[in-house]
Amino acid sequence: MSTMIHLSGVDKVYRTDRIETVALNDINLDVTPGEFVSVMGPSGCGKSTLLNVIGLLDEPTKGQVRLNDGPISSYRDAALARIRNRELGFIFQTFHLIPDLSVVDNVEIPLLYRRMAGSERRKLALAALERVGLTSRIHHFPSQLSGGQQQRVAIARAIVGGPRILLADEPTGNLDSQMGDEIMGILHGLQKESGTTIVMVTHDPRLAEQTQRTIRLFDGRQVQ
Amino acid sequence: MIRHLLKLVWNRKRPNLLIAIEILLSFLVLVAVTTVAVFYVDNYQKPLGFDVDRIWTISVETHESGGRSSTTIESTGADPAAAVTRASQARIARREQLGRLLLTLRDLREVESAAAVAVIPYGSSTWTSDVELGGKRHRYGANSGTDDLARTMGLDLLRGRWFSREDDGASWRPVVVNQRLAQELFPGGDPIGQFIAEDRPGDTAPKPADRMRVVGVIREFRKDGEYAAPENFLFERARFEDTDADASEPRELVIRVRPGTTGAFEERAVTALRNAAPDWTFQAETMMQSRETALQYWLAPLSAAAIVSVFLLVMVAMGLTGVLWLHITQRTREIGLRRAKGATVLNIQHQLVGEVVVLTSISVAIGVGIAIQFPILDVFGVISPGVYAASILISLACIYLLTMTCAWVPSRVASAIQPAEALRYE
Amino acid sequence: MGYTMIRSYLKLAWKVLWRRKFFTVISLFGICFTLVVLMVAAAVLDHIFAPIAPEVRQDRTLGVYRARMIGDHRSQTSLPGYLLLDKYARNLPGVERFAIFSMPQTVYSYQGGQRIKSLIKRTNAEYWRVLDFDFLEGGPFGDQDVTNGTMVAVINVTTRDRFFGGGPGVGRTFEADGQRFRVIGVVPDVPILRLVASGDIYAPVTTAKTDAYKRQLMGGFGGLLLARSPSDFPAIQAELESRIRAAELPDKNWHRLYAPAETFFDSVAGNLFGGRDEERSHPERLWALILIAMLLFSLLPTVNLVNLNMSRIMERASEIGVRKAFGASSRTLVNQFIVENLVLTLIGGAAGFVLSAFVLRALNASSLIPYAHFTINGRVFLYGLGLAVFFGLLSGVYPAWRMSRFHPVQALKGAGR
Repeated sequence: MSTMIHLSGVDKVYRTDRIETVALNDINLDVTPGEFVSVMGPSGCGKSTLLNVIGLLDEPTKGQVRLNDGPISSYRDAALARIRNRELGFIFQTFHLIPDLSVVDNVEIPLLYRRMAGSERRKLALAALERVGLTSRIHHFPSQLSGGQQQRVAIARAIVGGPRILLADEPTGNLDSQMGDEIMGILHGLQKESGTTIVMVTHDPRLAEQTQRTIRLFDGRQVQ
Repeated sequence: MIRHLLKLVWNRKRPNLLIAIEILLSFLVLVAVTTVAVFYVDNYQKPLGFDVDRIWTISVETHESGGRSSTTIESTGADPAAAVTRASQARIARREQLGRLLLTLRDLREVESAAAVAVIPYGSSTWTSDVELGGKRHRYGANSGTDDLARTMGLDLLRGRWFSREDDGASWRPVVVNQRLAQELFPGGDPIGQFIAEDRPGDTAPKPADRMRVVGVIREFRKDGEYAAPENFLFERARFEDTDADASEPRELVIRVRPGTTGAFEERAVTALRNAAPDWTFQAETMMQSRETALQYWLAPLSAAAIVSVFLLVMVAMGLTGVLWLHITQRTREIGLRRAKGATVLNIQHQLVGEVVVLTSISVAIGVGIAIQFPILDVFGVISPGVYAASILISLACIYLLTMTCAWVPSRVASAIQPAEALRYE
Repeated sequence: MGYTMIRSYLKLAWKVLWRRKFFTVISLFGICFTLVVLMVAAAVLDHIFAPIAPEVRQDRTLGVYRARMIGDHRSQTSLPGYLLLDKYARNLPGVERFAIFSMPQTVYSYQGGQRIKSLIKRTNAEYWRVLDFDFLEGGPFGDQDVTNGTMVAVINVTTRDRFFGGGPGVGRTFEADGQRFRVIGVVPDVPILRLVASGDIYAPVTTAKTDAYKRQLMGGFGGLLLARSPSDFPAIQAELESRIRAAELPDKNWHRLYAPAETFFDSVAGNLFGGRDEERSHPERLWALILIAMLLFSLLPTVNLVNLNMSRIMERASEIGVRKAFGASSRTLVNQFIVENLVLTLIGGAAGFVLSAFVLRALNASSLIPYAHFTINGRVFLYGLGLAVFFGLLSGVYPAWRMSRFHPVQALKGAGR
């Protein structure tokens, strides 16, 4: 069985002036394709950092990261950009939609960095929005939507390029329980229907229970 | 509070440095421009000393060799003595001719009075001189005029009299000075009848006939017009009957015309003059016209400097806006924090504007320090301390107004940041 | 970068600029104002120095525009006199044609109770062969006219209209300064700043009221030396210099005389920077002055623009972080930013062009500088365009470089570092 995500011996140390902060310490991790994994731990334990490392937003101080059996040998900007564009999709706690763009323009963003015709982009964006159940209001602006709707747009943006890995950082943190359940429903649906590998950071044990596996972190280390 | 603001400004030295320099530069240029402007305005109020209404001036160009400039070559190989005689004959003839021109003008019915003067107001030529009296050197603007000049130009005689036939055959040179020079040469005393000994270094004792004696005091004669600083002035007597080579030969004719004279008079006057002296060129102009043209030349450099000043102010506005915008973006968290800790919208606005005021004050303090050197060291003697003071105050007001206005919009943006939204950036 | 990409960049650029109206306006105003100042200055300089008809042979023309005489305690600087030019500047080696002309002088005419003020220029016959006037009527006066002192004149269009209303001018007569002239040619108006070619009335030099000018070493005239080719310049200059050095001076109080043959630009530099004993002018100093002024006026706005652009980027740090997370490479983001910047600069630049045109037109219309014809010709336009691009690129480079180094995680948090 091939692994989708593989981390071995990963350390992440932050150095500011004379202070060293160890965010991650000797992380070893394998995620199989189509798995839905959650990462839990108290605040400051490094779970967001772990997600950033997996998502190639941050470079480990030591250790190796492999995505889809391909080692990340170089952290040069252009190479990373390609991988992020094709293989990864992000969902943030604070949505991070671009306020100056409409919903459908926001969803199209990952496709802007691929060569395709404008009409095709529009088609894929509309399909992604339909997938998350948001077909009306596509020309509205983020400020005109509720929290739950905004997160749906963010998910649509994350999946529009057909990535095989979704990384979600506390996706329901800013939503009430009903909206949160809806979002979780969409994520589970994506895993079932498309076989997407999902890694989700959460502090809510209820949500973690619904996932297949939970990785616990404490002070940057894996614990059980 | 002020110390707090000072700390904030100091800690952000680097981005603030450029703005500080721009503010300083703008302030200095602004002070320069306003100083000149205030100087002009200040001078404008002071009396001119002569009439401008109903006065015409006519410049005479004789086209002769050996004229005003000594840069002509007489035919070589000639007998030098003969050359001197020829020159003096030409000179006598020329002065007779000039005298006749005055008579010709007086014959015209529009002419109330006519006279001749060496240097006309608003003109481009200058004649300055100086004299040593009582161990001090006194500089003054000089001129020469015929006996009718005071009446023609409406000079304001305060004491004594203008030149007249009384001065014929005197063993000294009669002069009329303005009040400023009189007070400088003879402080407290009566200048009428006093001698001004002309002390030229390197000369032997001056001849008695070269001594100047004050016969009258006029209020003022501002040869350079309303915008120039008042200066000392002295008139010598001019007579066309004087055949001496060194005697002054005024080539500017001045006429006072009767009320109701129109512009058509110019043609009659010039035609009459041309008939009397066909080889000479005459250019007539009203004093009003000369004044207008001259004042334009005074204002031109000021306008150019004003443009530079505006440019620098625009630069300050640009720079300040950019830096403040950056501040707000980078300090969103800080602002949210302050708001969460009870700062009101007004507090935030005041803080931002306060920081800008502190920054401006540091710059202008240096600027004032530099600007104030000029009156202290008396670099431009003609400009009085009052003018400097006024211009510095005006410039300060302008700079503060500009910077505070540029701070206002960003401060409003800053104060609109909701605390929760700002803190969510964690 | 496809068409859609650019369109989306432009759409976003517009939105960003519109959202922060105050800052956009300040940036635009700064760019526009700077461009206006620099372009008007460029137009004025171009107007004064560039080769414009009738001075079409400037590349192989030298002139004698100034003379200086130095004595014991005094010096006199002025225009050369007729005697100086006639005696020493004639028949120089390598010179095809030699023109003498007087500087414009005011003369008055009285017609129908009105006064007409004109500028008269007295020239020799060769003047019309060194300069290339585009005669609207008739032609210039020739050698015979100059020898005989015939009272003929060439006038410009404005003068023709002033004296004769709308009709043709050739053959009619007019009076100026008491002298009566017959018109033999009409030429277009030449702007007064072009001192060499400008005049309302052009008459033979021998029509002066007296012949005193023939004996004047200094004052009132200028000379033009049309060389066969620019390579003859050094020889001409050297020969004139040696002749002038040996010249006879009016009296023993004067020691030295200079009257260099040089380009008009050099003569302006010489008048501005010539020290007491300087013989050569220092054109490089004038160039340096112009360059420094232009640089100062360009650098300040550029630095301010850089600051404004940095602010714009910082404010959108999280947006940049998101884009990076979704696969935008640094290069793409830099391109996006540069498009935004160019949009801003081009709008500001276009406004600057339009405003400059207005300012120049106002200057032309005002009577400050008669016959002024400031235009934004090809040269000035290219200069303005170059400036706008210079601003756009320079003010974008540093912020774009900083942005490309944003760490996505930090950017998402709202900071850049």
